[in-house]
Amino acid sequence: MNLLIVVAVAVIAGVALTLAAHGGARPAPPGTAPQALPFLGGGTPDTHAWQRFHFRAYSMTLLFVAFEMEMMFMYPWAVVFVAEGLKALAEMGMFLAILSIGILYGWREGVFRWQ
Amino acid sequence: MAIGWLSRLAAATPPPVFAAVGPGLLPATERLLARPTLRRCGSPREAAILLVAGTIPEPAGAALDRVHDQLPHPRASFDWDGGGDAEAAIGALWRGLLGGGASEPDRLPDEPPNSWRGEGDHGQGGEGMMGGVPYGRPMAMTGDDLRDGLSLDLYTARIGPFAPMLPPGLQLSATLQGDLVVTAAVARPPFEQPAEADAPEACAARLLRLLGLGGDADRLLRGGRPRGLGALAAIPTGLAADAQGGDARARLRAWLGGEMVDVVCPDPGDLLVGLEWHEATLALASFPPSALRRATQAAEAA
Repeated sequence: MNLLIVVAVAVIAGVALTLAAHGGARPAPPGTAPQALPFLGGGTPDTHAWQRFHFRAYSMTLLFVAFEMEMMFMYPWAVVFVAEGLKALAEMGMFLAILSIGILYGWREGVFRWQ
Repeated sequence: MAIGWLSRLAAATPPPVFAAVGPGLLPATERLLARPTLRRCGSPREAAILLVAGTIPEPAGAALDRVHDQLPHPRASFDWDGGGDAEAAIGALWRGLLGGGASEPDRLPDEPPNSWRGEGDHGQGGEGMMGGVPYGRPMAMTGDDLRDGLSLDLYTARIGPFAPMLPPGLQLSATLQGDLVVTAAVARPPFEQPAEADAPEACAARLLRLLGLGGDADRLLRGGRPRGLGALAAIPTGLAADAQGGDARARLRAWLGGEMVDVVCPDPGDLLVGLEWHEATLALASFPPSALRRATQAAEAA
């Protein structure tokens, strides 16, 4: 019962403090248009700077996930394989088949062409 | 009064200064800002004092107003002709601002680059995801990438004439894809500077500052020796090759050895295409200001 009262008081105090902080803080005045311009040393942009760019590390990430996940599961699987035999082999086969789709996709994307 | 006490404490720190350098005053401004009593800022957002060194020619006047308006309040600007005790004057301005002095108002009107309010389905100024001018500016559109031909967004802007990573006065009209320079053209050449600006220590200090070694750059300008190791190795080999067979690294080595460098700078437009933005700024700073000015004027005349 005591614990319940303590929790209730803490929750009420938390909500009250949040509301007080929210109500008490004035929103910052919006900046003027010249201040919202991106800094280009006095120059001007043609477009927004929000743009799609190529995350060039992604192909390495793809390879890493594909091969590292394989190895991560193979060590514990090797222990289970001794006891379970063919069933464990089939399960690992399914798992590898799924991961190899990722490797095939990476192959299509040119991951294995080192430049 | 806690605020009064804090303001006094803040007023004792070096004033944060952003410099807009005009013709003829580059060496003097560099020496001024190398002093430990002033704090050189890389962006107007960080600064409280706008140092306007020399007379800014009229084509750059609008750019100066834009930089002025980007300083946060409270702010002050200081026009400097290269003489007098600028350090003391800037210090007095800084203490005045923190003591509750008036901040300078915006010089440009408070208008968005394109009118957008109330237009479009949600009043965002555009149609769909990419059309129109959402929030006053068009969205970036795709173009072929130089490196692997992927179609990615292009960012076109005029950078300068007061960009701290470019020589003062130089305005580049550049298209970037991420950080890669796809096209570059000189919109305005750098301002003319005295022969002193080509001095080895001044040129080396500019490159060191771009490499993030601001302390070493200031030490060089005050007549000391740089302590940082590996500055040469930080510049890629073969960057900004000149007709005499040297590159940016070789020129920095010569400058650090106290030798003047006299080279012909290639057309900056051709020099920068295919470089990453930071490499491009290093490439421009690796030529003496007089050589770069000659090259940009030749490119304009052609």
